[in-house]
Amino acid sequence: MPSLTNPTAPNYWRSLDELARTPEFAEAVRREFPNDEWDRLPPATRRQFLQVMGASLAFAGLTACRWPKEEIVPFAHRPEERIPGVPQHFATAFELGGTALGMLVTSFDGRPVKAEGSPEHPDSRGALSALAQASVLGLYDPDRSRRLVLRAGGQEFAKSWDDFAADLAGWTTDDGEGLAVLSGASSSPSLHRLRERLLEARPRATWFEHESLSHDSERDGLRAALGRPLRVLPHLDRARVVACFDADPLLEHPAAVLLSRDFAASRDPRRGAGCSRLYVVEPGYSLTGGRADHRLAVPASQVTGVLAALAAEVMARLGMAVPEGVVGAAAGHAHDALVATLAGDLVAGRGAGVVLVGPRQGAAAHALAAALNSVLGNAGTVVDYLELADPDRPSHLAAVGELAQRIGEGSVKTLLILGGNPAYDAPTDLRFAELLRRVPNAVHLGLHDDETSRSCRWHLPQAHQLEAWGDGRAWDGTITLQQPLIESLYGGRSAIEVVAGLLGGAPANGWEIVRDTVRELAPAADFEAWWRRCLHDGLIAGTAAAPVTPALDLEAVSGLALGHEPPPPPTAAALELVLAPDAKVHDGRFANNGWLQELPDAVTKITWGNALLLSPTTARELAVAEGEVVAVSAAGATVEAPVHVLPGLPRFTALLPLGYGRTAAGEVGNGIGVSAAPLRTTAAPWIVPGVVLRQTGRRVALACTQDHHAIDRIGFGERNRRAAILVREASVGAFLEDPEIFRHMDHHPPLEQLWKEGAHEGEQWGMAIDLNACTGCNACVVACHAENNIPVVGREQVIRQREMHWLRIDRYFRTPQGVAADQVEDAAMVFQPVACVQCENAPCEQVCPVAATQHTRDGLNAMVYNRCIGTRYCSNNCPYKVRRFNFFNYRKRLPDVAKMQLNPEVTVRSRGVMEKCTYCVQRIEKARIAAGNERRPIRDGEITPACAQTCPARAITFGNLNDPASEVSRLRGDHRSYATLEELNIRPRTRYLARLQNPAPAPAAAEPAGGDHGKETA
Amino acid sequence: MAMDHSGEVFVFPRWTRVVRPAIAAAVAGGAIYAALVVWLGFSPRATDVGYAPEQPVPYSHALHVGQLGIDCRYCHNTVERAAHAALPPTQTCMNCHAAVRKGSDKLIPVSTSYATGMPVGWIRVHDLPDYVYFDHSAHVSRGVGCVSCHGRIDAMDVVYQAEPLSMGWCLDCHRNPERHLRPVELVFELDWVPEEDQLALGRRLREAAGINPPVDCNTCHR
Repeated sequence: MPSLTNPTAPNYWRSLDELARTPEFAEAVRREFPNDEWDRLPPATRRQFLQVMGASLAFAGLTACRWPKEEIVPFAHRPEERIPGVPQHFATAFELGGTALGMLVTSFDGRPVKAEGSPEHPDSRGALSALAQASVLGLYDPDRSRRLVLRAGGQEFAKSWDDFAADLAGWTTDDGEGLAVLSGASSSPSLHRLRERLLEARPRATWFEHESLSHDSERDGLRAALGRPLRVLPHLDRARVVACFDADPLLEHPAAVLLSRDFAASRDPRRGAGCSRLYVVEPGYSLTGGRADHRLAVPASQVTGVLAALAAEVMARLGMAVPEGVVGAAAGHAHDALVATLAGDLVAGRGAGVVLVGPRQGAAAHALAAALNSVLGNAGTVVDYLELADPDRPSHLAAVGELAQRIGEGSVKTLLILGGNPAYDAPTDLRFAELLRRVPNAVHLGLHDDETSRSCRWHLPQAHQLEAWGDGRAWDGTITLQQPLIESLYGGRSAIEVVAGLLGGAPANGWEIVRDTVRELAPAADFEAWWRRCLHDGLIAGTAAAPVTPALDLEAVSGLALGHEPPPPPTAAALELVLAPDAKVHDGRFANNGWLQELPDAVTKITWGNALLLSPTTARELAVAEGEVVAVSAAGATVEAPVHVLPGLPRFTALLPLGYGRTAAGEVGNGIGVSAAPLRTTAAPWIVPGVVLRQTGRRVALACTQDHHAIDRIGFGERNRRAAILVREASVGAFLEDPEIFRHMDHHPPLEQLWKEGAHEGEQWGMAIDLNACTGCNACVVACHAENNIPVVGREQVIRQREMHWLRIDRYFRTPQGVAADQVEDAAMVFQPVACVQCENAPCEQVCPVAATQHTRDGLNAMVYNRCIGTRYCSNNCPYKVRRFNFFNYRKRLPDVAKMQLNPEVTVRSRGVMEKCTYCVQRIEKARIAAGNERRPIRDGEITPACAQTCPARAITFGNLNDPASEVSRLRGDHRSYATLEELNIRPRTRYLARLQNPAPAPAAAEPAGGDHGKETA
Repeated sequence: MAMDHSGEVFVFPRWTRVVRPAIAAAVAGGAIYAALVVWLGFSPRATDVGYAPEQPVPYSHALHVGQLGIDCRYCHNTVERAAHAALPPTQTCMNCHAAVRKGSDKLIPVSTSYATGMPVGWIRVHDLPDYVYFDHSAHVSRGVGCVSCHGRIDAMDVVYQAEPLSMGWCLDCHRNPERHLRPVELVFELDWVPEEDQLALGRRLREAAGINPPVDCNTCHR
């Protein structure tokens, strides 16, 4: 096999423990049931056995011959077009941090069960992020608050909305003196309209907007560089060079769904040499960094310097005079190789490149990026600037600071907090929870009776987004309508209804508020018809902001760069701590969502919590190890967090995700992970300098799924040997030179059948997964979770390797051959989604003693739950380790309200049953019945499994292999197509398309079978 | 008279010689009997066929369908489009009963439901296990008559389960659908009998429509 004899082939590994062959890893691999103590328990006594058996028999006798009577309750008056049991789809919106994503929500008999992307919406275009999909579970969260609470004199009283209105009337004055409102970031035109009306009616009232994961530094930077705050809308599909400076357009960005799709389009191999090239400079692995062709890990505080060095280089190459501020900021940041290569690429591809900067970086970095995009001619081609709806508001940090000051002065009598959780996530130096107790009448509207509510006088239950009318704006400004899918479960109200109630007299009904807001946009003729059309589409067409072409003020950029004084580079005694938004719980608001908590983090694969990330070198130099709890101290505050060692971080930089360690999130989220909030101050909201780590001598187990399913020692060694043929990669150049390169990565003896093969007639389902498009964003995993009624098992069960996800995303690190285990700082990252590949010669089928897993005539490897007796032989014999076993009846204690989310099209499995990916057989059967009823064949693209449906990058294609015209047939004929473990002759129906890297042609250090990679370290 | 029993462990009385074969026969017969009880008694044909729960409204299909000739689809109007042949909303009953037999005591649950909007709680007669996904539209649109599974509903005063609805019973038809196929336009004619041989007709219809029912597990179990 060439890959084994080629000494320059890259080395792939899944975790540092695996690479270093630590004793812990070897032990985990050796034991049949890792981390599992049940096989060591003392044996049950005979008496216990008889007791258990007796009980079982007694229960057997109690069961009647017939199952319980079932009632059918038809409507008294069935709504028009409503067919019982047939799902309906409604377009609505998911607003997060001021950006609304269009959703299409499936509702079964009035219960919303699944959220998918709205095909018409400009940001989602049919795909959806993991967070938006999981919002459906949030609706049915049993810990949501169900009543109004008045806290007075150390006691709690249940109250009604009328009580609240009456009480509020006694506090409000005609001119609004003493009234303040604190809202989260919102793009809702209705909320903006009501705010204006409120401030008109009550001129002395004040309104503040605060979002803890704010994007305000971009506003400040662009205000300086371009004269006014603007929104940056990159068109990555038009880009040939993408340079990200601490920016993560593929996951963290509010329009990440759109950007992922555009980026995947720019990497389409059909573009040949025109594929885009991605450069990433960042302080810790992001998904964008994982996809980078060249990546440079630098401390977050030094990113602006590198960007300035790039700006200086680019301007010099363009023959411009480099402003002195840029020169000054660039001093000491001549990361020659990468900066020079990138500058060369950007200049060569003028008008087809883009420089992006993330929200962690300050205004100077954003101004520099705007300057670069302007001088390179990218503005107007790849980058559009859009006007903001609220250009004049102060930054979120300034707003919350001013509010805190006013509360301190005692001038706020009534504070209305619309959503959000400032007591948990406002900068720690404001001591917001304490301040709230000093407000005589603090009112918190929230989904949960959370940390903020507990410091307030009133708690009001908020209506979930799926329960309320509302509106918002997409990233491009398109007004997106939010319509309720279900009557408010607990009598909650939305923010716009509460503000309207404050105004009095105005309609306090969300439907009327939204209609009143959009009425001015309607054509004069027929409002009702127009409104129904808009509701159907979920958006108001033609409301996107028009791109503007602002003039660049280079002087101001220079001035801002000059004023940028970075802290000194971190040292062992003064580390730099990067605070990062979490891809699962966001700012903590999704902490009580079991799907998201159990979702393995895209990069670290940690579930149920967060960890302090350190690079292997830093960990070694500070003498801390994986899982060790360290005390992290900065500016007088200390938090204790477990360490997770991960490549890709610069030396002496630590990274801690925000949003964990909630104390009043609910039963699921309380006490999960550690809160980074105590380290977050107004002065240093993202990048905390001078951090000291101290060992505590304690260790905790991290529920990290990366090393799970490591099979045994032999299998493991074999897997290691084969990793480079499991995930196949090559550079675009090498692929264009030799299109057969991926086929030649693996050779095996001819595969012959032991027995006569059955005919593959009719529809034969297959799947193609494009690793070149996949970013590892986890949207498919959540989609699968929601569609297939997959249980949440909890942290302890995940540690025992019992997670139930049918679809996992394997993360591999790649290092050039011969790199030692302690020299892996620059490892590149590769993702591979793995679910059941529906082998034609399935090993699982051959070992099932009760024929509970069988082949169907359309080529699926079907799992028959009601036959399964739980021997787990099939899982043992599965080479992909994609079968999941229900060790417990995880649904037994599910509250009734949570059961409402379950998809009625899929059986809910009980204890002792094996399960796995079915290619969403319920969707296949539905399409088959529909096509058969209409006497026509199933059309290509008619069936889309949940994972493929939601993929932002469209990496997954499903279809009929017997139809030569189908998209999946075309992709399987592609040169990049390969099957994993093909040599076992199991004939998997899911095949992969190899990933392409597009490194800049380097004079030296060429890697034939892998990408060239940024070698620089800070 | 003393007998010497020293060589024997147990001594049974003489009369047991007669009883012993009888006991053996009873044990063997009992085993067969028990097997038959389990085999026949626990089969859906015994436990489920004939199940006729009392409904909240004494609605008679014999009257409405048999005598008045109302089509199945007047009430079960989703049967051709959806998996469920939905029970009608109270509204459908009131289309006639707003005028017909208005004051009848038997109609109190219906008129109450219509007035209050609360549903009438019917008891499910044809109750498949929850892990079975049956689709009415797939069968009706291919020419399987209502009567094949539900029997002569038009003759039932109280609806009962006419067929076992067991997996083996489903598979019998999925393997040999020609026994139950009829022209699609006659699906709802409960009293229709073919003028020719059913098997010949069924084969012809099967051929013409390309009906090839799947027998894969995931046809019904997902």
